[in-house]
Amino acid sequence: MMKTQKTAMGGMTPADTHKKASLFLLLLALLALPGCTRAGKASQCVLCHPKIEKVSKSHADCVSCHGGDASIKNKYASHLAMYGPRNPAAPEHWEKTCGSCHLYQLDRVRSNLMYTTTGMIKNIQLTWEGPEKLYSSRGGDDYDAAGKARLLKPVAGLNHISGELYRKFCSQCHVATESGEVYGASHASGCAACHFPYNDRATYQGGDAAVRGKGPYAASHAMEKLPGTEVCARCHNRSGRIALSYQGLYDGNNSMVPTRNGQPGPVMTSGGRNLTHIASDVHFAAGMECIDCHTSRDTMGDGYGYENMYLQTEVSCEDCHGGARPPRYQRIAGESDEAVRESRGYAMQMRQGMKMILTAKGRKYSNVFYRDGAVWVLGKRSGRLFKSRVITGTPEHSVAGHGRMECYSCHSRTVVQCYGCHTTYDRSKPGMDYIAKMATPGRFSEKEDYRMLYPFPLALNQRGKISTVTPGCQTFVTVIEPDLSVSKDEYVARFKGKKQLRFAPFYSHNTGKKAIGCGECHGNPAFLGFGQHVVSGGEIEGTLICEQSADKPLDGFLTLQGGKVRAYSAITRENSRPLNGAEVRRALSVNLCLVCHEKAKDPIYRKELNYRALNDALHRRLLSAP
Amino acid sequence: MRSMMLCIVACFLLLSAAAGEARENCTDCHKIAVSGVHAGVPCLSCHLSESDTLRDPASASGRAAGCVGCHKGYQALFGRPMATRVRETGFVARSFGRMDGEFFGKNCNSCHLQGCTDCHGGKGHEIAKPRDRDCFTCHKGYFVGTDYYGMAPREDSLRYQRGDTAYGEPFLKMTPDLHAEAGLTCADCHSMASLVAGRSSSKGCRDCHKPKLSVVEHRIAAHLEKMECWACHSAWAAQEYGTFYLRFSGSPSKDLYRVRRDLSAEEYVKSAYLRKQDAPPLGLNGRGKVSPIRPQFIGYFTDIRQDRAIWEENRLLAAEWKAFFPHTVRRGTVMCEGCHDNPRRFLFEPAADRIYQLQADGMTLPSFWDQSGQKVVNGSFLPAARYRELSKKTTAYRRAYLERWQKLIDHVEASSPR
Repeated sequence: MMKTQKTAMGGMTPADTHKKASLFLLLLALLALPGCTRAGKASQCVLCHPKIEKVSKSHADCVSCHGGDASIKNKYASHLAMYGPRNPAAPEHWEKTCGSCHLYQLDRVRSNLMYTTTGMIKNIQLTWEGPEKLYSSRGGDDYDAAGKARLLKPVAGLNHISGELYRKFCSQCHVATESGEVYGASHASGCAACHFPYNDRATYQGGDAAVRGKGPYAASHAMEKLPGTEVCARCHNRSGRIALSYQGLYDGNNSMVPTRNGQPGPVMTSGGRNLTHIASDVHFAAGMECIDCHTSRDTMGDGYGYENMYLQTEVSCEDCHGGARPPRYQRIAGESDEAVRESRGYAMQMRQGMKMILTAKGRKYSNVFYRDGAVWVLGKRSGRLFKSRVITGTPEHSVAGHGRMECYSCHSRTVVQCYGCHTTYDRSKPGMDYIAKMATPGRFSEKEDYRMLYPFPLALNQRGKISTVTPGCQTFVTVIEPDLSVSKDEYVARFKGKKQLRFAPFYSHNTGKKAIGCGECHGNPAFLGFGQHVVSGGEIEGTLICEQSADKPLDGFLTLQGGKVRAYSAITRENSRPLNGAEVRRALSVNLCLVCHEKAKDPIYRKELNYRALNDALHRRLLSAP
Repeated sequence: MRSMMLCIVACFLLLSAAAGEARENCTDCHKIAVSGVHAGVPCLSCHLSESDTLRDPASASGRAAGCVGCHKGYQALFGRPMATRVRETGFVARSFGRMDGEFFGKNCNSCHLQGCTDCHGGKGHEIAKPRDRDCFTCHKGYFVGTDYYGMAPREDSLRYQRGDTAYGEPFLKMTPDLHAEAGLTCADCHSMASLVAGRSSSKGCRDCHKPKLSVVEHRIAAHLEKMECWACHSAWAAQEYGTFYLRFSGSPSKDLYRVRRDLSAEEYVKSAYLRKQDAPPLGLNGRGKVSPIRPQFIGYFTDIRQDRAIWEENRLLAAEWKAFFPHTVRRGTVMCEGCHDNPRRFLFEPAADRIYQLQADGMTLPSFWDQSGQKVVNGSFLPAARYRELSKKTTAYRRAYLERWQKLIDHVEASSPR
């Protein structure tokens, strides 16, 4: 690139002189710095790594990120003072490297849940009878959601089975620690986790012969300013599996079929799992990526330390599609607006005066705006514009009572549900502690009862809204002591003071344009949490039963016996709960109207239903026996 | 004549043994005691002759020559499906057998009637009436039997192979059949006489039960005329969608298939794309009545040599369904919309509602819940016209629907403890 510039200098017109000259001066200044510039004779870096990719136009200097001494020829001596040396963006170095320029981002990431994993650890503590203190991946201080300073203990010191589970099972997927040996799920630590993505085998495949084929390294030395869906999928492919569901992939029953090219298939992923294709999310099908909905504050944090991801997340369906009220927007008032700055890397830049759509937390999206009476979403990477359909005021979306529902309760095509998680903690065997980076006594293994996609149960979430829920978790713990005695056998932990299994409010990210039909949901008590079942007179009887009971469904949390609706599983999160008897009755009663008034746009659904109408003269005549 | 002579000899021996005047020499060497109802029967009444001893009197190959002298006519059982396995061999011949002529012998031969003692006592001399567990030697897993006691097969992957095991099968705990809860055994409905006569059971539902007209569903004439009782009253059924047999030679990749290995011969790996155990789809059985149906089997085959698929990979060899009786009877049923206006239940799933994208993974069929490309071997799928007919919301339908739902809703309390 530099070479072409120099040739161009020779044949320039006087009119260009000023502009070109200033560029030349800038280039000269760059040459003077010890760095990656090819012409820089002083840089030993590029002599050894001549064809390594530039990180980006603005990140041209090796030493300012990597440290080390570019003037020494000897490999070991020049590398001695490097940060890493592999990954200067790792949390051990990021203050001196990335953070020395990007302090605003670093401060946010440091209290970001993807880095602290405080939420993950807290939820394990809650469901594995752990202590109540807050921990984080590396410990440290930050500010909680109310702006109060708090100190988080490092999870290395969580001396409890919940800490063990995190360190040996869950900690592989977070920004604080590198994971280099998991096929399809490896990632760097720190900023590089997302901005220097690994490939499936964590192997460098760029132009630098000195590093090519080695690992764990990013696939390329070129920075990924805007990480794509496949980057998110490196971690978000377990537990809720949202990145899989979004792309229409399912790690269902691990059957390894159908084969592909004579190998287990059709798509292999981490942990020896195979993926099959299911209907994808409507947004994915349209060409949208994760970061087209999720803002940088969702993914990198907003500076506050939250205790759950649903508190950090600022986007909601209603932001673009409207709810009871249409989407809100705010004009960009000045050039310093965050939307302007963030959109600099997009194919289209946001400018002063544009009407930017607001997130549920009231902050501007940097890629969603209001123009010509419509909401438009810019694909941050693709540059494509997607028109968002606003549903506010449409009859289907103004059914009385449905204001209580999350959009995805009707618009989820599937919700992945893992029933029965049988976890064994074998203290007689060593297990890798990914935080301590060494094997310690105690190894986890896991078996499962049953996986399901549809139908899916609904319950009240933390916002008091009806939401899809999924087992979270139905953990049965077995502990084998060093002397091989079994101290816990298929143990169900106490949660909210009671031994019970748990479901968690959850948006599966497998959204469909077409909603679940009215009769489909109201007419099938499985959606209310009864599991697969039969109805006998006035009883609802589950047919897939928990091993530890005679009659409670494994795939649900409600029973109807002797006219009583009983809940026997908790819904995690504050204010969450299963539907109660009155709500179950109300949901089922709608069928009395639905059998004739089939469409949601029927005017009777604009107000609360009056079942006494069934006894009026009109209804009696319509329904009378011939 | 010969058998008559033998019978006389047997009777003579029996009498003499009872009189204690003479006894057989057999037990001088063979310290064997016969237990049960045959305890007093002399050896030669079954083994026939000292000089030409029948080694295995109950064997199918000898048509149970030692048994049928008294149990006359029961050798006919060896001509019945349980022994001939004509349906299974026929299926294999038109499916997997096309790829491997010895498939049946390799993968399907573990359930093969070898003689009377397979069921009657097992160990030969402890002859007894069959107990349920004798049936479950074969009638387990995907083959209707243990379902009766609330056991459904688990996914083949080792991740899902866990929990209690019965008859060699780790099972998923389901609600048992009402009759099992009441203490009825297999033999209470499946008598020896019915099996010998080639009937699958000796009793039908209506031999014992008269549908109560207080039940709304029973008052609908079409329900009673056109449906088997178990179309509604089967609470669940094991369903296997996509049965894969992979044949390997010289392929280390075989070890990557972490699935149970006891279901196939050494050179094969058997796996299934998806298992379900909810209310099964409905179709028409051989009598033209609405009945549960399930895949048996939607079979795929891949031949893998030196870790490469040869010929066509994941070749669809059969897409066959069977009308069947799941043996999971409960008093309860699904509600009206479990069938009416429920296209998946009759394999009319609209393309827009497809969850599993089979063709994206090269599995040929558009959907398991789409009739196209599939058939019911012992009946048929419900014709589209009939499906449209039963999904019409007539006044009669609406009236019955309201009555049914009102009954459930009236039962649900207005407030709950939680």
